[in-house]
Amino acid sequence: MELYLQFGYGMMEHCRFLVSAWQGGTVVLSPRDLTHEQLVRLSQTIRELPGGNVLLDPQFYLPRADHERLCSHQYWPDSYSTGTFWQGPALTELLTRLRDLNQSIGSATFILPGVLADTINDDWLEIHRSILEEATALDTGFPLYMTIALSADAARNQDQIAVLLERAETWEPAGYYIVCEHPGGNYLVNDPNWLANVLDVAAGLRLRGASVVLGYCNHQMLIAACAKADAICSGTWMNVRSFPPDKFRASYDEEIRQRTTWYYCPQSLSEYTIPFLDIARRQQVLSLFAPPAPLDSPYSGILFSGQQPSSVGFTEQTAFRHYLHCLRAQCTAASLGTYDDSVAFHESVLNDAATLLARLHAAGIKGQLRDFREIIDVNRAALSVLTATRAPILRRRWTAI
Amino acid sequence: MNGLNGIDLVWLRQQFPRLSNLNPLSVGGQKLVFAGVHPIDGEVVLKLIHPRQDHEQTRRELLAVSQVNSERVPPILEVGTISTPVGDCSWFRERKIAGKTVRELLVVGPLSISDLLRLGLHTLEALLNAEQAKIVHRDVKPENIIRDNSGSFWLIDFGIARHLDLDSITATVSAFGKFTVGYAPQEQYRNVKTEIDARCDLFALGVTLYECATGRNPFADGARDAMEQLTRVETMPLPRLSLTFASAQKFADLVAAMTQKRRDHRPSTVREAYDWMKEICDAEGI
Repeated sequence: MELYLQFGYGMMEHCRFLVSAWQGGTVVLSPRDLTHEQLVRLSQTIRELPGGNVLLDPQFYLPRADHERLCSHQYWPDSYSTGTFWQGPALTELLTRLRDLNQSIGSATFILPGVLADTINDDWLEIHRSILEEATALDTGFPLYMTIALSADAARNQDQIAVLLERAETWEPAGYYIVCEHPGGNYLVNDPNWLANVLDVAAGLRLRGASVVLGYCNHQMLIAACAKADAICSGTWMNVRSFPPDKFRASYDEEIRQRTTWYYCPQSLSEYTIPFLDIARRQQVLSLFAPPAPLDSPYSGILFSGQQPSSVGFTEQTAFRHYLHCLRAQCTAASLGTYDDSVAFHESVLNDAATLLARLHAAGIKGQLRDFREIIDVNRAALSVLTATRAPILRRRWTAI
Repeated sequence: MNGLNGIDLVWLRQQFPRLSNLNPLSVGGQKLVFAGVHPIDGEVVLKLIHPRQDHEQTRRELLAVSQVNSERVPPILEVGTISTPVGDCSWFRERKIAGKTVRELLVVGPLSISDLLRLGLHTLEALLNAEQAKIVHRDVKPENIIRDNSGSFWLIDFGIARHLDLDSITATVSAFGKFTVGYAPQEQYRNVKTEIDARCDLFALGVTLYECATGRNPFADGARDAMEQLTRVETMPLPRLSLTFASAQKFADLVAAMTQKRRDHRPSTVREAYDWMKEICDAEGI
C-alpha cells in the first residue's frame, strides 16, 4: 500500500521536499488550498521530480460549498440545482472543465466529482452513476476514479454500505477515491462498525478489480492494507488526516490557529506533545519513543540526543515530515504477499503498540486525544469482521487483485 | 380417482402403454412421480403435474431443464398432457438416475471426502450451465441432488427455477419468495427479486456441502420451527469446517465464502466458485 500526500494548508514545501526525498510519490492536490496558478505550478514542480505524480481532488462534496478559493476555480458552477444539475448540460460542463484542468496539471488519473452522502439512497447512487456515464462518454483518455464520499452516519450504516456495494456491481471505473467522515469529528475513530464498513467497501471494490485510494487518512487506516487498498492519503494537519466536510464552508474554523507540535511514535501508533516527551525523559523511558530501525526517521534523531526534548528545537515542520516519513514506511511494510500475512502483521503492530502503551501509561505518559490505546480494540474488531466476511475470497485472490 | 394422490395405477398404465413397470416413486404437493422403463430410453421417471399447479410454472420448469442443457441434469425426454377425472394434467418424462438422493446418503452419516468434493464439483457444473442460461435453480438441497451408481452427482427438480430473463411469476407483493427453509439465503425468501441471482444457489449449495461434511445443518438442527431457522440463516454464521485432507482449508474457505449472509460477500459468479472447486478437486485427484 502506498502513501499519497493529501495536500492541505502549508504543504507546498513539504510536498516538494518529501517527493524529492522519497525519489517519488503522489500528491493529491486540493483546489480549496491552491489557486489555479498554484495548482499548475505545483503540479509541474512535482511532476518534474523523479517519480512525482499528481492527482486532483475536485472537492465537489458539497455542491453548495461557499469556500471562496474553492468556488473561484473555473470548474465550479455558478449555480447549482439538485434537481437538474446531474442530468443536464451543467454536468457535462463540470466534467469538461475538470478534464481540462486535469490535463493542464498532468494528473495521473481523473478523480470524478462526488457528492457527500448523508444517506446512501437511490438519488445519490443515480447521481454517481450519471457522473461516471457522462465522464465515460467524454472519452477523456484518463483512467476514471469515482469519488465515494460518505458522512459518518452513512459510513456506519451496514445496510447502506450493502446497497452501495450492490450498486457498484454495475459500475466499472478504473478506481475509487473514498473519503469518509469520522464519527463525532474524532481524529481517531472509536466506532468499530465505521471502520469495519470502510474496510468492507475498500475490499469489496478491490475485489471487483478497481483500484482503491482512501483519502484523508491517519495512521489508523494502516489497517486498509488488509483490505488490499492501493493507497491511503495523509498530510500535515488533522483536517487532511480525517475528513471534515465543513472545511469546504467559508465558516470553517482552521485548526491551524491552535498550533501544537505532535511527535508521532510509530510503534505505539500514538502522538505526543513535546512536554510529554520531557516527562518520558524524566521517567527514563524516552528511548522507547525512538522509531525502530525499519521506520527510522532522519527527522526525529534530535529528540533522542540526551537533551530535554522541548529544548532541542523539534519544529512543527520536522514533526510533519517525521509523521509522513514513518507513515510511508509503515504503509510499505503493511503490504504483504498474502491476506493472512497482512492480517498477522497488523495484529502484531497492534499487539506491540498495546504492550508499549501499557508501559507508557504506567509512567504517566499519554497521547491524550491522539493516544491509540482505546483504538486498538476498534481496529481488532474491524479486522475480525473483515476476516469473517471477506477473508476466503481475499485469501484466494490476493495476488490477482 | 380422488385427486392425484389417489390415482389409479392400472388406469395410468393404460394411458402410458409404452412404459413398463410403472410404479410410484414419490408424492409431492403438486406432482406425482413414477418410475418406469421405456423401450428406447430405458429407465425413466414420469412426472404428473396436478391440474391445480400453475401451467406457467410447469412450462418454466421444462424450459429451464431444456435451456440449462447440462450433463449434470437429467434430460427431459417427452412432454404432454393427459385428461383425468380431476382435470387436464401436464406430464413429462425424464431420464431416471439410478442411485440415491444425498438426503438418503446422509442417513448413514457425513459423506466421504471424495463424495463431498465430487458433489461440489458436479453440482457446480450444473449450476454453471444454469448461470450461462440465466436460470437460478432456487432449490438446491440434499433432496434435489442424486448420486448415481457410478458416483456422479445430478441436480434435479427445477420446479421453482427462476428465469432471470423472464418476468417473475411470484407476486412482487409476496412477503416470501419460493424457497426451502434452512437452505435459501435471505434475499431469496424475502423475495427481493432484484437480488435473486446465481449467488442464491451458491448459498444453498454451501449449506448442503456443510451438511454433507458434518452430517448436520446448523440452521435446522434443533430449531423450534421454520421461523427460528430463518432467524439463524440471517444471523448465525456457519462454524468453519474442520476437515482433514490436504486441501481442507481451501475447501473450508470456499464453503465459508458461499454461505456468507450478504451476496456481495460470496463468490461473484458460479464460474468463480466452480474454478475454486475445480482447483481443490484437481489437487485431491478427483
